[in-house]
Amino acid sequence: MNIALALSPLLVVALGALLLMLAEAFSPRQGGLALGAATVLFVGAAVAGGVWMYGIERLPEAASLAPWLLLDRFGLFFDMLLCLGGGLAALLAGGYLVEHGIERGEFYVLILFATLGAMILASSGDAVTLFLGLETMSLGAYAMTAFRRASPRAAEGALKYFLLGSFAAAILIYGFALLYGATGHTDLAGIGATAATARTPLLVVGAVLVIVGVAFKVSAVPFHAWTPDAYEGAPTPATTFMAVAVKAGAFALLLRVLLIALGDASWTSWAAGWPPVVATLAVLTMTVANLIAGRQESVKRMLAYSSIAHAGYALVGVTALMRDPTQAGASVLFYLLSYTVSTAGAFGALILCGSHGREAVSYEDLSGLGRRHPAAALAFSLFLLSLAGIPPTAGFFGKWFVFKAAIDGGLYWLAILGFVNSVIGAYYYLRVMVYMYMREPAAGAPVALPMRSGYVTAALLVSALFVLALGLVPTRAIEVAVRAATLGAG
Amino acid sequence: MIATYAPLFMLLFFAAFLASVFYVAATFLGGQKKPNPGKQAPFECGSESSGGRHLKLSVKFYLTAILFVVFDIEAVFVYPWAIHFRALGWLGLAEMLGFLAVLVVALVYVWRKGALEWET
Amino acid sequence: MVALGTIYFWVCALTAVAGALSVVVSKNPIRGAMGLLLLILSVAGLFLALHAQFLAAIQLIVYAGAIVVLFLFVIMLLGPAASTPNDRRGLFARAFGGGLAALCGAAAIALVASAGLAAKHPFPLADVDPSFGGVDAFGSALFADALVPFEVSGALLMVAVVGALAVARGRQGVASLTRSEREVARAATPEPDTAGGAGVYSHEIHAHEEHSS
Repeated sequence: MNIALALSPLLVVALGALLLMLAEAFSPRQGGLALGAATVLFVGAAVAGGVWMYGIERLPEAASLAPWLLLDRFGLFFDMLLCLGGGLAALLAGGYLVEHGIERGEFYVLILFATLGAMILASSGDAVTLFLGLETMSLGAYAMTAFRRASPRAAEGALKYFLLGSFAAAILIYGFALLYGATGHTDLAGIGATAATARTPLLVVGAVLVIVGVAFKVSAVPFHAWTPDAYEGAPTPATTFMAVAVKAGAFALLLRVLLIALGDASWTSWAAGWPPVVATLAVLTMTVANLIAGRQESVKRMLAYSSIAHAGYALVGVTALMRDPTQAGASVLFYLLSYTVSTAGAFGALILCGSHGREAVSYEDLSGLGRRHPAAALAFSLFLLSLAGIPPTAGFFGKWFVFKAAIDGGLYWLAILGFVNSVIGAYYYLRVMVYMYMREPAAGAPVALPMRSGYVTAALLVSALFVLALGLVPTRAIEVAVRAATLGAG
Repeated sequence: MIATYAPLFMLLFFAAFLASVFYVAATFLGGQKKPNPGKQAPFECGSESSGGRHLKLSVKFYLTAILFVVFDIEAVFVYPWAIHFRALGWLGLAEMLGFLAVLVVALVYVWRKGALEWET
Repeated sequence: MVALGTIYFWVCALTAVAGALSVVVSKNPIRGAMGLLLLILSVAGLFLALHAQFLAAIQLIVYAGAIVVLFLFVIMLLGPAASTPNDRRGLFARAFGGGLAALCGAAAIALVASAGLAAKHPFPLADVDPSFGGVDAFGSALFADALVPFEVSGALLMVAVVGALAVARGRQGVASLTRSEREVARAATPEPDTAGGAGVYSHEIHAHEEHSS
């Protein structure tokens, strides 16, 4: 029964998704709000299962699944993170889709399966399951992006996302094919064992291609071109899902590859390994995304660039894996957690600001919100402060741990660049607050009317709770992250 | 090594040979070809034809096609299971039932959603 | 025997390359799809040479039988408007991208060749048992060792079904007019709007379609 226990988070989400499909297919009413609630319930149950297992002193043995699925604490951490992100996106969808008249049950099924794919991706220790999980996650995200089919913008975003995403997947699988050719293994541990002893050109090229493929998925800068269009064209809950769960899944993949397959000292050295590559990606990602984000007129697009920039900060932590895999890995995990709740909250607040088929998009749409709807403005401000990394919020400690890991690893310049970038980033987050609190809408201009939705409110409350809890008492969460990162190495 | 598959190749060559024989024979046996503009024009009940050569097909074709591909792949997985059925025993049966259960749910879902009906 | 195998390999390999080239080069998308078919057939032949009989069969059933047909459907779905062979925009970008891709391809070939030709290979390539790629061996590998990926592929197929449903049945708009409805619409309208080519009709027909559904 141990295997069933170890697999329970995956099983709960999978069975929940199947039951939801049947319920949706046989329910007399079209769609329905109950559906969103059920979705979140199942996802929440998976989180609960994961948390419960976390409390056990020893994890249930699941060695028989070993090469395919590594059911360690690292995987469990991501199970919880991804279920949280997926659940928040589903809650937001419960408000958004109804309000804008595009609610169909498929969306919730897609969220569930895409989350399942991401969980499989985060737990997999073999190129085969890894690819299956990645594709399950990505296909769900592509379909969600194209969900509002009548909109040309959605079609454009979905097409770009699909083409470049498939391209990235092809590069990734080509990389793994070369790694297989060089080592004779598809499992990451086997690749790692051979990579430690002999370094052939085939191995190097394979590793580079894998890193490039993952960089596409986390939208690191030379490979980010699809992100703004896809994020802008998608329905906002789908954007939330992509920014939160898809990115977290891709980071799980990156960490597993770097820690297990390329974790040997010969690969983690600055002179002859991957750290310079990842550091370059980090610097480019932070800088370029921040500079472009400041010039956006659409808040949704600004948040898209902001999510690219945050991938850059997380990559700073990934670079620091070269010195201390546990501390740096924990900093990345904590960063992803704080980023998840802050981003889901920010997109949720943006969703809250629109109603009846009219979304709040530009900065002007939000002007005067602080006076008209103080609660919505307050929630938005909290998440923006967290994204900017201002102290009493989760985002501050996220950045703190990541930069600290870089400094401990001797990467002072990287930490300084990251700090400078977060100062630049604060500009465009605060600009939203300036519009909300210090501007009034032009006379006769259409203003955003916030929606009334229990789902969105619930999602915002959950996110706000996490943002404040992680910002005020980060110690428990960082302990959890350290434990997850410790066992992730093995 | 390759000689193992000699019957297969013989079949292929024979099929190709027959097809080409028919093809060549058809040109001799069929009527004479004297094309002129009147014959080449598309015939549409006496009226001038309009529009391009291609018709835009309904997206339903695509949906049907992709559903076909998905269930085709499912069927492909069943072949080796059926061949290896006895050696796999109960565990193999359970595996396949689990896999099929998932896709039966997909089938039921698609059915209930009306995606299998052409006229909706 | 060896000579026969070598000849077979070269025939299949060169046909595969020719097919792949025609996919890339041909301006007519249908011809491209036919090139893809050729490529798939010759790759199936290569699988056969590697004793991967089951894989060769699947290659024919799934790829030649289903995927190429799907491609053809999509080409028909999009119609001639989708192919713009005389598009001069982005010529530099295309030349640059093509050059870069060619460079990468050449590098990849050189790499694989050097690894293959190197005397000291990190792991020896053993002679395989002729029954290695048969249906039976495939079954035991898939259902005994690779149980997890097998079950996970169910999730992938599922998400493909639901995703296709979500995207293709989004709204019963103009794109989901069926042929028979079109014919009715064509008969009902005195002057078909031919400006945008076949498939584009005036607003009356939308009204008609919405009315009838």
